[in-house]
Amino acid sequence: MVFEQEEEPAPGAVHGHRLSTVVPSSVTGEVDYALADADLAFKLHYLRGAYYYPAGDVARGITTKVLKDPMFPWLDDYFPVAGRVRRAEEAEAEGRARRPYIKCNDCGVRIVEAKCNRDMDDWLRDGAPGRLTQLCYDKVLGPELFFSPLLYVQITNFKCGGLALGFSWAHLIGDVASAATCFNKWAQILSGKKPEVTVLTPENKPLQGQSQAGAAAPRCVKQVGPIEDLWIVPAGRDMACYSFHVTEATLKKLQQQGRHAAAAGTFELVSALLWQTVARIRGDVQAVTVVKHDAAARSGRALANEMKVGYVEASGSSPAKTDVAELAALLAKGVVDETAAVAAFPGDVLVYGGAHLTLVDMERVDVYGLEIKGQRPVHVEYGMDGVGEEGAVLVQPNADGRGRVVTAVFPKDEVQSLRAALGSALQVA
Amino acid sequence: MGSSAQLRRLKPLYQLVVNNILAIVAVPLAAAAVLKAAELGPGEILARLRALRPAHMFLAAFLPAAAAALYHRLRPRAVYLVDYACFRTNPNCRVPFATFLEHSRVWPGFDERSVRFMTRLLERSGLGEETCLPYAQHYIPPSRDLESSRAEAELVIFSAIDDLLAKTKMSPQDIDILVVNCSLFAPTPSFTDMIMHRYKLRKDVRNVHLAGMGCSAGLISVELARNLLQVAPWGAHALVVSTETITPNYYMGQERAMLLPNCLFRMGGAAALLSTNGANARFRLARVVRTLRGAADSAYHCVYQEEDDRGNVGINLSKDLMNIAGDALKANITAMGPLVLPASEQLLFALSFIVRKVLNNRIRPYIPDFRTAFEHFCIHAGGRAVIDELQRSLTLSDEQVEASRMTLHRFGNTSSSSLWYELAYIEAKGRMRRGDRVWMIGFGSGFKCNSAAWECIRPAVNADGPWANCIHRYPVHIPDVLKH
Repeated sequence: MVFEQEEEPAPGAVHGHRLSTVVPSSVTGEVDYALADADLAFKLHYLRGAYYYPAGDVARGITTKVLKDPMFPWLDDYFPVAGRVRRAEEAEAEGRARRPYIKCNDCGVRIVEAKCNRDMDDWLRDGAPGRLTQLCYDKVLGPELFFSPLLYVQITNFKCGGLALGFSWAHLIGDVASAATCFNKWAQILSGKKPEVTVLTPENKPLQGQSQAGAAAPRCVKQVGPIEDLWIVPAGRDMACYSFHVTEATLKKLQQQGRHAAAAGTFELVSALLWQTVARIRGDVQAVTVVKHDAAARSGRALANEMKVGYVEASGSSPAKTDVAELAALLAKGVVDETAAVAAFPGDVLVYGGAHLTLVDMERVDVYGLEIKGQRPVHVEYGMDGVGEEGAVLVQPNADGRGRVVTAVFPKDEVQSLRAALGSALQVA
Repeated sequence: MGSSAQLRRLKPLYQLVVNNILAIVAVPLAAAAVLKAAELGPGEILARLRALRPAHMFLAAFLPAAAAALYHRLRPRAVYLVDYACFRTNPNCRVPFATFLEHSRVWPGFDERSVRFMTRLLERSGLGEETCLPYAQHYIPPSRDLESSRAEAELVIFSAIDDLLAKTKMSPQDIDILVVNCSLFAPTPSFTDMIMHRYKLRKDVRNVHLAGMGCSAGLISVELARNLLQVAPWGAHALVVSTETITPNYYMGQERAMLLPNCLFRMGGAAALLSTNGANARFRLARVVRTLRGAADSAYHCVYQEEDDRGNVGINLSKDLMNIAGDALKANITAMGPLVLPASEQLLFALSFIVRKVLNNRIRPYIPDFRTAFEHFCIHAGGRAVIDELQRSLTLSDEQVEASRMTLHRFGNTSSSSLWYELAYIEAKGRMRRGDRVWMIGFGSGFKCNSAAWECIRPAVNADGPWANCIHRYPVHIPDVLKH
């Protein structure tokens, strides 16, 4: 947290951070929001989403106050997001940590205002790994849970007049689909539209003692901890988020390879390509964890962790040597679903990058719906913090809907080799 | 026991007799005169009248008439409150308890002890979850620059004046006198010039800005406006604006006595229109009594703005604030009492005073019952302790201090304008009736205790005002210690 910049900022870095808080406009009262078991399984992960808006008339008219004013009524609907994590008074069972819940005390959402001395186009063109950390305020829950906001919104103004909005969202309050819908609703209020009613019922109820202590964690996740009050993966290697485009042409080429390819969806093809590339770099990657957004299986609650979590094992052949098309087919058909087991597991787990390389399907998430005064973002990238060393890959739609944006969250020292390996793979004409 | 119960039953009769003593004495005298006249007969009376010399008759008529006319000329003009309006807070400025605490915790300038102190204070402060701080104080750390301070002042003052002009259907050109009080922020040009500039007031407006006069300055401004109205043409209008700008005054140090204002002071302001023309007025100003205790050292240093060891400027509140406030209040009501209390209470007080002096100092002094003089009480919402102390000293019921407690809960300590918010509460609750008398008591640095007595001519027709969208939720029960 910087209060007064005495020295010159590093050239091109984001600087001049000013923090403030936005609260719900009406008093929520003595309300507690219970966290479901599925929510608690994701507590060590943090979504980082950056939305880029080009310089122009619209961006010029956007002051911080214009962006903040709609947040007050928005938080009336999403009051759990303005709350803080507390632990229950008593433990559920012997030896277990006291169960966390959200106290909806209107503490608020943190807003960060920052500046960057570069033009937004240059910034985007560079494709520097780690740019997401600059645009999304880099904080986690803890060491004081009482005083850790669940959401940070960073507003970065570029030299050219372009604007970037960076959201740092604690995964435990909702998955990426919930987060994107939540942000879209704010934009709707900003534009003067009346958004749909936010449904926060039925109330989360913890599953009743479904697993025995001492049971092993499900295969797709890795058990860690026990985690006290600082909710971040214990220090291992430094991770970085690297975003790149997969063009429509590349996608077509992938689809034309082999007879299996036509049957598999875009997510399967792109993630299979990544699986193969990573397998080649690391020697081998026998299994992957798959996290998919399944619209049909959602309950309709505005804030929920309802992504399907499972794993895929490449039995027999090594993925480094297998065809992308075959891997894609495997991803399409061979996922072993462990969503319920992950939720029921009592210990602390790492879902993303824990046990295996994790592939995240964000195809159906409407990120480009966050229109500010009618202006759609020119680019959106979602990365993640709190990812384990195995790494994660998020496959997202791009601005025109025909290509894809892929964000790879990998250890910093692997990113260069990944970039090089992908460079040739994506160069296909 | 039996005798005191009997005394209590006799009290209403006693009050009736003493308060209407003139009537009670005059009626038998008049009856006697009529009987005597009847005895003499009309003829005898006319004969006696003709015997009187014309000069004597002329004097008998002229002298009383001249005395009455002179008396009327020398009396001060009656001053009326045409209407008033308070700044309506915006939910965008809301500061919940949890947020205030988090901001103090997150900023490294406050140490553990200071944060714990502020937490304990806030838990017991009686403030609610809807009090408002200015935009600049939602930042970590809060900015205290001149531009933000002016922005806050403009927001508060202009909205209050806009509200007032709309209510009274007045044009800004009708304003003859402008008095503004804002204690801790007095930029150049002054707030009165700022208002002149914004509303294009006339060239010959008498404008005065009162700075540094503390939380009791609201009533000082009212008295000043009243005095200026005595020498202005009859029917002149005086605009009185009371506010306190919080932005530049956030204390950034660690002295506990100086952290109190951070926790209690909130955004607020009020504008009132006074006039000597009572045509459309809602209240009449009966009395203003000001008591200054600054001659004594302890009172002077009670609320003192100074720098702490590290050079941070803040307002130091001394530990015997309550005692000094109590003394100042006693001095004020001793001056106020004879002016407003009915004769029955004054007689009892005088008797009890004599008895104590002559006979026995151990007899408890008689505390005049101010409920015989006033129907409503507006006590400056300086803090929970102040209101508790005053309720105790004046033996007021919970309902009578409700306006003060609820204003503290909803708006916090808005300094000089809190009295207006309390009046607005009473009116929004529909408790004001024609003829009701209101007592406003303000306290402030100096140490000063100022009171004003108002009489209602026309109560408000609806609950429109700062309480409009929340009055239905009040009164609320305020716990001793807020759970959080």
